[in-house]
Amino acid sequence: MSGDAAAPLLERGLPLLDRIGSAARPGEVVLGWLRAESSDFVRFNHGRVRQAGSVERALLELRLVRDARQATLQFVLSGHEATDADRLGAALTELRGLLADSQPDPWLALCEQPREQITRLAPALPPREALCDTVCAAAGDADLVGFYAGGALACGFASSLGHRLWHEASPWFFDHSVQVGGDRAVKATLSWPAWDAQALAAGIARARRDAAILARPVRTLPPGGYRAWLSPTAMAELIGMLNWGGFSAAALRSGHSPLTGLAEGGQRFSPMVSLADDLAAGGLPRFQSEGFARPDRLPLVQAGAWSGSLVSPRSAREFGLTGTGADAAETAQALSLAGGDLPEADALRRLGTGLAVSNFWYLNWSDRAAARITGMTRFATLWVEDGEPVAPVAVMRFDDSLYRLLGSELEALSQVPARLPDTQTYDHRSFGLSLTPGALVSRLSFTL
Amino acid sequence: MLPDLPDRLPALRCPPGASLSVRMVAERQHQLQVLRGVVQPDAVWLDAGAMVTAWHAGGVGYAASADLSAAGLQAAADRALAWAATVGRLGLFAGIELPRPSARGVSWRSPVERPLPARAELLAELLVESAALRRDERIVHWAATLRQVEGRHRLFLDGEPVADQRFAFVEPNLEATAAQAGRSQTRTLGGQYNGFCMQGGDEVIARSGLRGGGERIGEEALQLLMAPNCPSGPMSLLLEPDQMLLQIHESIGHPLELDRILGDERNFAGTSFVTPDMFGHYRYGSPLLDVSFDPGVPGQYASYGVDDEGAAAQPVRLIERGVLMRPLGGALSVARAAALGHRLQGTANARASGWHRPPIDRMGNINVEPGSSSLPEMIRATERGVLMRTNVSWSIDDSRNKFQFGCEWGRLIIDGELGPVVRNPNYRGVSATFWRSLAAVGSADEVRHLGTPYCGKGEPGQVARVGHAAPPCLFHGVDVFGAEA
Repeated sequence: MSGDAAAPLLERGLPLLDRIGSAARPGEVVLGWLRAESSDFVRFNHGRVRQAGSVERALLELRLVRDARQATLQFVLSGHEATDADRLGAALTELRGLLADSQPDPWLALCEQPREQITRLAPALPPREALCDTVCAAAGDADLVGFYAGGALACGFASSLGHRLWHEASPWFFDHSVQVGGDRAVKATLSWPAWDAQALAAGIARARRDAAILARPVRTLPPGGYRAWLSPTAMAELIGMLNWGGFSAAALRSGHSPLTGLAEGGQRFSPMVSLADDLAAGGLPRFQSEGFARPDRLPLVQAGAWSGSLVSPRSAREFGLTGTGADAAETAQALSLAGGDLPEADALRRLGTGLAVSNFWYLNWSDRAAARITGMTRFATLWVEDGEPVAPVAVMRFDDSLYRLLGSELEALSQVPARLPDTQTYDHRSFGLSLTPGALVSRLSFTL
Repeated sequence: MLPDLPDRLPALRCPPGASLSVRMVAERQHQLQVLRGVVQPDAVWLDAGAMVTAWHAGGVGYAASADLSAAGLQAAADRALAWAATVGRLGLFAGIELPRPSARGVSWRSPVERPLPARAELLAELLVESAALRRDERIVHWAATLRQVEGRHRLFLDGEPVADQRFAFVEPNLEATAAQAGRSQTRTLGGQYNGFCMQGGDEVIARSGLRGGGERIGEEALQLLMAPNCPSGPMSLLLEPDQMLLQIHESIGHPLELDRILGDERNFAGTSFVTPDMFGHYRYGSPLLDVSFDPGVPGQYASYGVDDEGAAAQPVRLIERGVLMRPLGGALSVARAAALGHRLQGTANARASGWHRPPIDRMGNINVEPGSSSLPEMIRATERGVLMRTNVSWSIDDSRNKFQFGCEWGRLIIDGELGPVVRNPNYRGVSATFWRSLAAVGSADEVRHLGTPYCGKGEPGQVARVGHAAPPCLFHGVDVFGAEA
């Protein structure tokens, strides 16, 4: 287990994408979207390794267009050139059969401007063995629970129209918590680009020290409104809800967006709130799964007012809009909330007396049209008096409107947004992240 | 066609004393959809690959690859063996005899009463329902969808066949959103996350109510648009099976998962208010509550013959007359609990979401057993309450205790009679006490078999298929509330 170099995804993926360019018959357009990963996954529990393994997976979504008809077929690549060429041929045969029985697609959108862009960032992965040793040694007798995910990750797009796009990097994260019993813990996430074993050990040691206050007797508060400092991680959960259709052009026009009031001008957030999909700051690819270009930075909310929605190529056709290069789901990939004027070191002093919330959990809409959400506090919520943490607080359920939390109740945002990687690994890893400051709110409504 | 899996395994090299399992999974999905009146492009997904699991040097490790050649599987085995050695040195399992697959030669397949009609016929049916969904111009979004999934799972231990299982899933749905004057309401056939999902063929579509269901769903969306807000306050709550599925899932299924109880998920999906010492005596619910783990219900969504750790699946009772009896723990979790001094009987419920994810404790089919009350009787027995249908919002704490759930559809019940439709019905409670307020359980002929394709858990993340069957159930003294305005 010593080979720590990134797997050669580029060398394996690009030749197959290049075949796509010559796969079309007269009158056809063939497009391919490839996602590949070479991943190591290590789970930790009680400061020891719980489960460890590796996954090599590459998927090619092939799209065939002819006479304004289209169909897609995604298949897995074996890594053998001849086998994968056969699979490509079989996929095209099946797609041709589906098109023969299909209707013209009025929302068909093709990116007619071919371009080539190859980006490959140098790997900066922690050595596997050393990672496990470092974590277990640093955990010592602490009850550390965590998850490492890392390795080469790539996406690419090619078409018979001449596209040749590739983005590859080797992102990693170590998401972990030092538990003190019950449901209380100090949570942290380390992530790329810098791998530093000493920094990781120091981070775990700091978490162990910070966990001491959580061992104090837990305070249970009655439901009601509380002044609160929301950490950048808690804020990332909160504004992440806006990605549940909030900025989606299709959701806005089909009655599903929680931000209809904001988009139509009847509602506003605080002037402190400016949101964008900031691919440049996140180092994300500037193309999407159909080959359309994506802007470096797309403003969504500026000074509390609606700025624009995320528009996929299909939505652009359906609703007569200008596309923004959004994927089909029309979600921001690097949702960024601009920082404010509050030095984070002063956050508890400015809070005075109230709650310091490290994490939210399991957010969902309780009234989507009113942008009202419910969710739980998680890991470390502290009762603060005169700027000093006093005691941990039992988990509580809040139910409040984003128009209040990001509007009338928002007192301040911290100066420097934190860079928080997307730690979700459902089906595959991603390049996604959010950039979020912490927030001071004058009232957060708890119900249970 | 389903991607091919090799019939025979190559001989894989491993050190003396080590064991290797190979779990191969092939899957094909095909989705047909008519969205806002427009036939969407056909979408097909094919996947096939293998996970090699190695037991070696006191540890267990895995490696997954889509390269099913002899060289590809050997490379995966070598990597899995290396991980096993690391886990043996730094792992949790000191002194624990790590279980290997125990079943042998099991063959299993989904029951299919009638094959699905051809694509053109299915699409024609979806077009009919799509047109019926749009009752008038206030319906701003409407969709008719059908996803069909075929799968094959093969498991070998040291070259010996453990199981060969073939699955057929069908997931029909209808959805309509009505909007007017800044208000919108959505109504679906099986929830916005495909709650009506089963194994089988055309009979699944027939049972789902999709055929002829477009008009009802569209009309109910319009009714909700004009309906008053759900009232607030403590009252009785009558949950239909398509909300019971979520209630069971979040506040029985997840808390009973033994890997949560052992702390594996504390960094992500959460822990549990259930502790190992509760089994055998803890009062989880009223004496009317009987809950089963049953992977053998024909056609239910999470039925199977062998779990992904190679244990033969058997039905067991998790909660008997309200008393907690067993956790949802696969062979490895049960062995770990035993090493900690907790002698628990588990279930064959270690499952993986695909060849690229390792098995963890998942809930399978978790069903509330029928009682003796009928729905009309439960309505008559309610002085003041709300009947709720079809989950739309769900949130529950880290320990699976404090919850808040919302539904698409509500109807007031006043003095034993069904009253007007209400919109945005929500309720909240605490798992540890909610099930003790269970006052009546519907009868066997009112049970519906539902589920979800989207149960999320695990690091790396896994989305699993789970099944839930229940009749309507009545609860008293629940905190009910409605929308903002």
